[in-house]
Amino acid sequence: MNFNKFFALAKERGISESQIQIGRSSSTSIKLYHGEIENLTISESQGVTACGIYNGKFGSARTDKLDKDTFEYLVSQIIVSASFSEKEGEAELFKGSEKYHKRNMYNPVLAETPLSEKIAKMHELEEVAFAYDKRISEVEEVDYEETTSSSEFYNSYGLKLKQKSNYFVYVIAVVAKEGEDVKTAYKVHLGDDFSKFDAKATVKTVCDEAIAKFGAAPCASKKYPTVLHSDIVASLAAYFLESASSDEVQRKSSFLIGKIGQKIASSKLTIEEKPLTKNIFFSYFDDEGVATYNKTIVKKGVLQGYFYNRETAKKDGVESTGNGQWAGSKIGIGFGNIFIKPGKKTFEEMISPIKEGVYITDIAGLGTGMNPQSGDFSCQAQGFMIRDGKVAEPLTLITISGNLLKLFSDLKEFSNRVELKNSSISVADAYIKKLSIGGK
Amino acid sequence: MMLSKSLALQVLNASLSTGGDYAEIYVEQTNSSSVSLENGKVETCGGSQSFGAGIRILKGLKSVYGYTSDLSAKSLLSLATKLAAGYEGERIITVEKIEKRTVKTINKIKERPIDVPEEKKIALLKECYEITSKVDPRIVRVQNAFACSNRDIEIYNAEGNIGNLYVNNEQRARMVFVALASENGQIESSYEGPGRYGEFSWFTDTLDYKKIAENVGKKAIMMLTAKECPSGRFPVVVGNGWGGVIFHEACGHSLEATATAKGLSVFANSIGEQIASPLVSAFDDGTLPNEWGSNNIDSEGHVTQNNQLIKDGICTGFLVDKFNGRRLNMEANGCSRRQNYRYEPTSRMSNTYIAAGKDNPEDIIKDTKLGIYVANFGGGSVEPTTGEFNFSASEAYIIRNGKICEPVKGCTLIGSGKEVLMNIDRVGNDVDMGQGNCGSASGSVPVNVGQPTIRISEITVGGRGGKLE
Repeated sequence: MNFNKFFALAKERGISESQIQIGRSSSTSIKLYHGEIENLTISESQGVTACGIYNGKFGSARTDKLDKDTFEYLVSQIIVSASFSEKEGEAELFKGSEKYHKRNMYNPVLAETPLSEKIAKMHELEEVAFAYDKRISEVEEVDYEETTSSSEFYNSYGLKLKQKSNYFVYVIAVVAKEGEDVKTAYKVHLGDDFSKFDAKATVKTVCDEAIAKFGAAPCASKKYPTVLHSDIVASLAAYFLESASSDEVQRKSSFLIGKIGQKIASSKLTIEEKPLTKNIFFSYFDDEGVATYNKTIVKKGVLQGYFYNRETAKKDGVESTGNGQWAGSKIGIGFGNIFIKPGKKTFEEMISPIKEGVYITDIAGLGTGMNPQSGDFSCQAQGFMIRDGKVAEPLTLITISGNLLKLFSDLKEFSNRVELKNSSISVADAYIKKLSIGGK
Repeated sequence: MMLSKSLALQVLNASLSTGGDYAEIYVEQTNSSSVSLENGKVETCGGSQSFGAGIRILKGLKSVYGYTSDLSAKSLLSLATKLAAGYEGERIITVEKIEKRTVKTINKIKERPIDVPEEKKIALLKECYEITSKVDPRIVRVQNAFACSNRDIEIYNAEGNIGNLYVNNEQRARMVFVALASENGQIESSYEGPGRYGEFSWFTDTLDYKKIAENVGKKAIMMLTAKECPSGRFPVVVGNGWGGVIFHEACGHSLEATATAKGLSVFANSIGEQIASPLVSAFDDGTLPNEWGSNNIDSEGHVTQNNQLIKDGICTGFLVDKFNGRRLNMEANGCSRRQNYRYEPTSRMSNTYIAAGKDNPEDIIKDTKLGIYVANFGGGSVEPTTGEFNFSASEAYIIRNGKICEPVKGCTLIGSGKEVLMNIDRVGNDVDMGQGNCGSASGSVPVNVGQPTIRISEITVGGRGGKLE
């Protein structure tokens, strides 16, 4: 598409500055069931998001309909959107950063690897899982998905930015059955290097997990020394980091208000945002065209700063941190490629001093069980008892509840078992001195 | 028309070229608009368009699906050919013509909410803001929003020489009320989100928005003083309306053919068996006029139905879509849904509720010595294979000696669907519904959940408040 036509039309209608982004994505996903491809999904999609300044106010529009009327639709919607805005102050768009750390994250080897090899791995996952243990009664899901996506950014000041990436995901979900006792477990593997995917190791992890859950029951309700699997830490940390959004802080909706420079967590907690890391979450510009950079958010338990977009930065008299991200029809705040500093001990070493404790491996319902403003949470959980320093009997139908600030203050240490999650957080298992567990 | 009959015919035939026994094209354009206010001032006012087509080809128990936002002949035919290549075989069906089928409008609309001037919506939201913000000086943030959508759908499908065309239009609108209260560094929030397959005038004339605006503020303030919920196992009375989310999660999802077809659900093979207390009867009714979860037709072109799921505790049916119906050897019953063209449709709930019983809600409370009254939930989730679920209460109180006492926060109910349905020992006569968006395999779809006041004789409650006394 010729975006100059968009900029010209916008100018003609009185939009003083404008910006347009186009996202394209193509993906193939496959589901295998009992040795046969049960479902194949192929997609090609695109979407355009545009914004501009009209009479000093910000307006935006979005469509995935690309035809001769697209620019007309976008321009007229931007005008409507800006006309009703009651935001204070004069809005303005970004002209461009001095320097961008551009990098090509598209892996042609992945794209060129024949689909048949990728499907062969799916068969391997299913076969190995069924053969693993006779109690594996069903392989509920073996999925493969490969996505290539690109984004382009243009503004009326002549700024042009582009990035393209690809990645793949394998998902396996198994059901284990022993008498009437039914247990499930699943594992997601994502990456961009196909050669690094180990199907056998993945099956072992997921099947062992399902089988270990047989006979699970609730434990007694009380506060236990608690070890959280890295998946759980990543989910909780995401909410913790949302509170470090300057937007939430300025709207008095964060538990991190006025806490910069203060100790808010255990000295074992160090959190960095590294958008320029060479992995599938790499991103060198944000949705306002601001260059991203690596930064420390929490250093040894002390809060270093908030995430800013241009609007919130202006309010606080600072610079944007390159965290502008579309949220509906406004540019809100987002973050990506979070690194939480791991500890030095293996998981086994870390839990060895725990006489009686709980190891949480699954949670459900955090979305509604979390009060993101106060950090209070309560949700369903599964896991294991820890007895005399070792993982012991399985637990189910228990709840964990606490407060995020308290939880990270009670952090004793992290293990060295780091995993990159699909939420773009890299984190290890955490040992929390005390956490409230609800059971029987 | 977004897609011409002649192109649709070509695409269907290209799709069926390798022996597929069913092909479908779902064409959609949705125009959405939303206005949001932050502390009484317009924060955003925006429009967006979703536009594209999804092609599905079934062959026995296999399916292929693809979508694109490019509706040109070249793009659609190329997609159909790529998808057909997913099968190996000879053509068994040639579609000769397409006939348009009548779609009965059960959800009547006089004025499309998207056509209502923004000024009117903003005026309504400002009125709500004024009410909420005046509830108490500790209200520090008020958010109000009105969002609506106009969706045009064309479904072309064929499993024989004569193809079908179904044309439908959907109109949905929703209002959002959020209040945040803060005191001594503590922050609590409260939310309401009434929705309707209907007109803007319903929100101004029928909905008691003034009361909702006031209550949302009061609830946030109340939560500031609420104590932590105790934990353990005890009786829980669940209020009517949105309380029905417990049935939606604990039972509804496990009765979707998506879960039952492969025998993965706790309720697979349970038709004719007792799965709930004899006091429980439940329905999924997509035909309730102008309700948030209603539809004229489903995403496969089937007319929506009132499906009874449970009668006097006995499981009487599943929610069946075309594809999973093949595995179950059951007919599709009008419940196949999808968020938009990017999703392959599957069996989903619409307006799901437990039917009225005989008890007065007051008596249910009066007959409860010590327990919890959950007036409202934030939401929850379930693992259909094990039936284990969780719900977070957004408004809950202690019941002592038959009276509703102090409010509590941080209350989570957990259990398994089988257990909780059997443990329902009182069912009130006050059925009501609440609106939500349900996220599952085919994306996020609008649903109503509903029930009368019910009592669960015993369920695990998680909280940080120690023992219930």
